Amino acid sequence: MNIDEFSCVGKSVPKVDALSKVLGTARYAEDIKMSNMLYGKVLRAGVPHAVIEELDVSSARAMGGVACVLTARDVPGINRYGIAFADHYALAEDKVRYAGDPVALVAAETEEIAAEAIKAIKVKYRLLPVVSDLHEALAEGADRVHDERENLILHSKTRKGNIQEGFRKADVIVEETYTTQTVDHVYMETESGVAHIDETGMLVIQSANQCPFRDRRQVAMVLGIRENQVRVIKAVTGGAFGGKDDVTVEVHLALLAMATKRPVRLVMSREESLVSQSKRHPIEIWSRWGATKEGKLCAMEGRVYGDSGPYIGLGAFVVKKCGIHLSGPYYIPNLKVDSYSVYTNNTFNSAMRGFGVTQAAVAHESQIDRLASKLGINPLRFRLINALDVGLTNATGQKCDESVGIKPTLEILRQVVLKDPELKNMWEDLD
Amino acid sequence: MKKRGIGIGSMFYGIGYGFSRQDIGAATVEICEDGSVIVRSGEVDYGQGSDTIFCQIIAEELGVDYAEIKLITADTLTTPNAGPTSASRVTYVTGKAMMKAATEVRETMREVAEEKLGMQDLMFANGQVFSMSHPEKNISFARLAKATHLAGRSVVATAWQDITTKDVDPETGQGDAYSTYAWASQIAVVEVDTETGKIEVLRVVAAHDVGKAINPKNVEAQIEGGVATGLGYALEEQILINKGIVQNTTLSEYMVPTSMDVPVIESHIVEVPALEGPYGAKGVGEPALIPTAPAILNAIANAVGVRVTALPANLENLHRLIREQENNNKDKS
Repeated sequence: MNIDEFSCVGKSVPKVDALSKVLGTARYAEDIKMSNMLYGKVLRAGVPHAVIEELDVSSARAMGGVACVLTARDVPGINRYGIAFADHYALAEDKVRYAGDPVALVAAETEEIAAEAIKAIKVKYRLLPVVSDLHEALAEGADRVHDERENLILHSKTRKGNIQEGFRKADVIVEETYTTQTVDHVYMETESGVAHIDETGMLVIQSANQCPFRDRRQVAMVLGIRENQVRVIKAVTGGAFGGKDDVTVEVHLALLAMATKRPVRLVMSREESLVSQSKRHPIEIWSRWGATKEGKLCAMEGRVYGDSGPYIGLGAFVVKKCGIHLSGPYYIPNLKVDSYSVYTNNTFNSAMRGFGVTQAAVAHESQIDRLASKLGINPLRFRLINALDVGLTNATGQKCDESVGIKPTLEILRQVVLKDPELKNMWEDLD
Repeated sequence: MKKRGIGIGSMFYGIGYGFSRQDIGAATVEICEDGSVIVRSGEVDYGQGSDTIFCQIIAEELGVDYAEIKLITADTLTTPNAGPTSASRVTYVTGKAMMKAATEVRETMREVAEEKLGMQDLMFANGQVFSMSHPEKNISFARLAKATHLAGRSVVATAWQDITTKDVDPETGQGDAYSTYAWASQIAVVEVDTETGKIEVLRVVAAHDVGKAINPKNVEAQIEGGVATGLGYALEEQILINKGIVQNTTLSEYMVPTSMDVPVIESHIVEVPALEGPYGAKGVGEPALIPTAPAILNAIANAVGVRVTALPANLENLHRLIREQENNNKDKS
């Protein structure tokens, strides 16, 4: 394909939304004002693991300017949702499983009244042992995050070749445990939205989201209504990076709008977002890599432990994807990887840009460099020697048969270094 | 003392969901009587630029100006479900649906034009439809749109693209996990202050295989944003949790990189076409970030000889590791 065949594709035309963002005319969810609109607020647990012994909303309900206060009892449909598995409570029932768990909802005439009403809700908790450590969570007899299920969410396996034989061929072996931390998406726009009932009786939600259709499905389930009675519109959204993949404000907005039959708005503060919304999985990765003295990778073994927090969200997939990418973009004939996603009472961890592969790369790239150093081979050269190419199979045995660009990316960087005295000086051994 | 180091990070990334998860893209293209174009798709642009890419693809296929296309997205009542914006899938899957829908409408219009002009070798470009051998035989896209409407032909097409892949085997993890893969490598140059542990990333050189860059500037923007995120991940960002309770709940306590922290970023676009992607394109959103932290960690090791195995490589951690290394060296000597 010749680039000149194209008139518009391949051209750096200005983004279609650039002007509205620069001029400030783009209408984010927070900018939507509707007449008669109420302000919603969520009471978060504040404690990571506890039984709710008493929940008294009577004084909050009695306050002037409060349109409604909702608890799990007021949920008309199924009080659970989730993209892959419905284990996420719309409102906490008998217990809370992380500090960000929603316990009650308020809609009021002003934000101030809503905040006062939240303070007026009385909750008595009986604290439970906090499941915070991945390995303790997996130990026999561990306290459970969900009483009816063990803390192991999913164990996924990758098996290729024979690692005993593979390691027998190895002249050098490196073994290490890497731990990655919990981080937040920190989009400029926090989670926000507005819901109302339109003139046809349809529930309309305009929110910052990544998939209105998935939100619609989950909202309909919690409300006990048909999907064609729910309209979810993505408002102009100020970043998401995976953090708005799971439901954020949509289910709560739906509950409040249906209960009050009035427009309701929910905008999270940064603090609420940091405490209650999804994060990048902290993942612990142990791995052992072997290579021959010629610089060929011959075996890899790994164990991946991902902390998904109190609800699965997309966590099981994140950790599984981490495991099957732990080989990196290299040909390794023998490998064995076990990945475990685990419930804890820590933050709710789900999708974030890179989806487990960000964490995998920290481990595989560190291991690759350590092997290269032991073998006395330049790290870029070592990658070129082992990079996947057409005809080779990756960790899942999938044959690379199209669009295999790893060697070209390495080759470009090699050329950059060779032509740049500053870089070449730091990598004298690169030929 | 300040020491400089160079490091590299590489990655591969399966585009789309895998694991038998539904992975579909969709778009509807409609031509108005005056030749203006309305496109509807459930796909979400949350800032990454897919709306622009879609307009470019439609413009390419219909030979009209991309700025004149009206795009309506991400509304469950008025747009077809195109799945979420995630997994670096949007250009690859919904971009292809765009291409298919536009092609279908264009081919209907071509039939009408062939009849009108009596020519077969028609090209759609610059808002015109003309014979390549006899350019004087032509009709404007607007007039052809009107003619297509008058002929009672369909001016609406909805296209669907499915890249769902079967889950890997539960016991062996073997299988064709993803429809295609993105590949990338980045080099980072860092300077480490051995007294304080302070790290400055001086330069990042990135090379990304995106299949085909529909909008090269936008690809660069993705890479630059990804590098900034990767830098924060490597060096400073961390939600501190004590027995389930988040300790840093404001952005004065949870540190993200600022423009002062982001180095010079040099992007190189590699184009090894993906068979199922529009014009060979695949995703770059997530790959943009993935190699950055490893490249920085490897550059730190190159600079001062210590390997950070627990992220982030912040001031405290690096300072401690450098002191430990010094003490070890003293013990040996």
